[in-house]
Amino acid sequence: MIQLTDLCKAFTVKDRKTRANKRIEAVRGLSLTVQPGEIYGLLGPNGAGKSTTLRMIAGLMRPDAGSIGICGVDPAREPERARSLVGYLSSDLSVYHRFTPRELLRLFGEFQGVEAAVAERRGLHLLERLALLDFADVRMEGFSSGQKQKVSIARALLHDPRVVIFDEPTTGLDVLTAKTVLDLLRIMKAEGRSVIVSTHVLPMVDGICDRVGIIFDGVLHGDAPPRELLTRWGVPSLDEVFFKLAADAAGGGA
Amino acid sequence: MRGALLIVKKEFMELSKDRKTMFFTFLMPLILYPLLFTMMNRLGSNDEARRLGRPSRVLLTDASGALAPGLRADPRHFKLVDPPEGGARQAILNQRLELALEVDPEASDRLARFETFPLKALYDRSDETSALALDRLKDFLKQQDTLWVQARLRAIQAGPQLAVPTRLEVAEAGDMGLTLGKVIGSFLPYLLVMMMYLGSMQHGIYVTAGEKERGTLLSLLATSLPRNQIILGKLLYIFLIGLITALLHMSSMALAVGHAMAGHAAAAGPGAAASTGALAAIANPVTMGLTFVLMVPLGLFFSNFILLGGIQARTTVEAGTALAPGSFVVIFLGVFSMAPGIEKLRFLPFVPVLNVSLAIRKLFSQQASAWEYLVALGMTIGLAAFMTWLSTRMLNRESAIFKV
Repeated sequence: MIQLTDLCKAFTVKDRKTRANKRIEAVRGLSLTVQPGEIYGLLGPNGAGKSTTLRMIAGLMRPDAGSIGICGVDPAREPERARSLVGYLSSDLSVYHRFTPRELLRLFGEFQGVEAAVAERRGLHLLERLALLDFADVRMEGFSSGQKQKVSIARALLHDPRVVIFDEPTTGLDVLTAKTVLDLLRIMKAEGRSVIVSTHVLPMVDGICDRVGIIFDGVLHGDAPPRELLTRWGVPSLDEVFFKLAADAAGGGA
Repeated sequence: MRGALLIVKKEFMELSKDRKTMFFTFLMPLILYPLLFTMMNRLGSNDEARRLGRPSRVLLTDASGALAPGLRADPRHFKLVDPPEGGARQAILNQRLELALEVDPEASDRLARFETFPLKALYDRSDETSALALDRLKDFLKQQDTLWVQARLRAIQAGPQLAVPTRLEVAEAGDMGLTLGKVIGSFLPYLLVMMMYLGSMQHGIYVTAGEKERGTLLSLLATSLPRNQIILGKLLYIFLIGLITALLHMSSMALAVGHAMAGHAAAAGPGAAASTGALAAIANPVTMGLTFVLMVPLGLFFSNFILLGGIQARTTVEAGTALAPGSFVVIFLGVFSMAPGIEKLRFLPFVPVLNVSLAIRKLFSQQASAWEYLVALGMTIGLAAFMTWLSTRMLNRESAIFKV
């Protein structure tokens, strides 16, 4: 289970013109809960605070305020234990291109403290599930974006995490590869994992997410099943919800 | 520590996948020095043999015929040529002529009158063959002068010793080998220090800013490995690469010097003791060992510097730009340490990096002082420890990892 309470995160950046420090509030008082066996869709435009939120859950960043619970573990107090419970997939379509998938998975198995034989078996099973077993011993430098993403997914799930965090998992992928990823998300849901997915591809959400939260300027709007959100906003699609929020933000209201 | 060692393993595994980098990191140093020494030796001796084996082309203007017969009688050293097109000066600059010699038209008469006659030589100092022609002319004139002076002495019925009040006998204490030993001893420490920095710089950038640029760093940080261990692993890898590079360069140099020693001893016979002594000081295991001990903290200091610069940068280009001035500093300090007489400056043992370079130089020239060595070692260890502390503190900051 993932439990976020009043999460806040700000960054200080330097304004090149005025040379003054500028504080950017990336996440403001965000609270949500993702139950086991649930897929939560975190929607929002670029720079809305999705990746920052996911990075805080994954233990890559520390929140300025608020608390995080990963299956009852606080990443601030036990960062390594919390990270061992999380499978994190970043939005970069990048892998260690000099390795083969098998070598990479073996290595990350060691990093995650998974026994070599178990890592090998699990790694190959994941590659098979992702239709990449034939490329297990091929160096990744020539891999397509989809193949790289599949390897990254296998890497993120290798240690059998209870919590899965996928940051924009289908961006840049073709329809077939995107479908493979979505199918895998459904399997993870069926296995009882807590899954949180960020995206700005709205049609994807409708098909797989149990609940959705729309993040805009660091603030979470909504947090309900997709259909309920549409009813609440009185619009036919999530796109419309998005446009309304954008208009509210431009007008100064939320 | 397990986590750090796993990171080191991962970095070496990644390195092992790149054959080109492997070649330039591990194999190149081993073949570089023997190849360089052999080539320099061959080229040097070939060039010298070619120059010495050929007569110098001389344009002689000697109406009185005072020198022409003597020069013609020495075809091994002189070849008299016709006036070249475009004049003598241009011919010398174009290396078609080595020397132009203009003798006083009344030279023979002046000789007969026991007077001095002038002669003008034109040559190019920057050209070794032209300089050799002038040396040959000087030798020739020295012999000729002796003959003329003796003829004059006979004419006034004086003994030949009258014009030779002294006779200097010169014996060579060292030889070419000793000179070679001293030259190598002066540039080798600089080369080692530089190689240690430059050898690990690119690898350091690859595993820090490179990981950021390729987007793989996040996947590493998302594992259950403690962040300190990841940083320590990266540091250890950069340090080991620097150390291995320096070690390979040292071994290769020792090999090349050893080979030069063997060749020199064979050529010079039993009289080569002094030179082989100087060369042996470089290839000596104790010298090598003491040098290595100095290189360890220096490598740690460099590794921390590279780690800091690399991880703070957003891209490899940015890291390269940030770390390049460091290499200039290292090169500058190295060049500074090669300057003659520099070891006499009293403050130098207290200048970081430079004191290591100087200590190594003194080790190699068999003038090592224990306190200078210990000061250099102590200071470098202190500096390395401080840098390690600083880099772990700095790199635990989110702003270093997620620089925007």
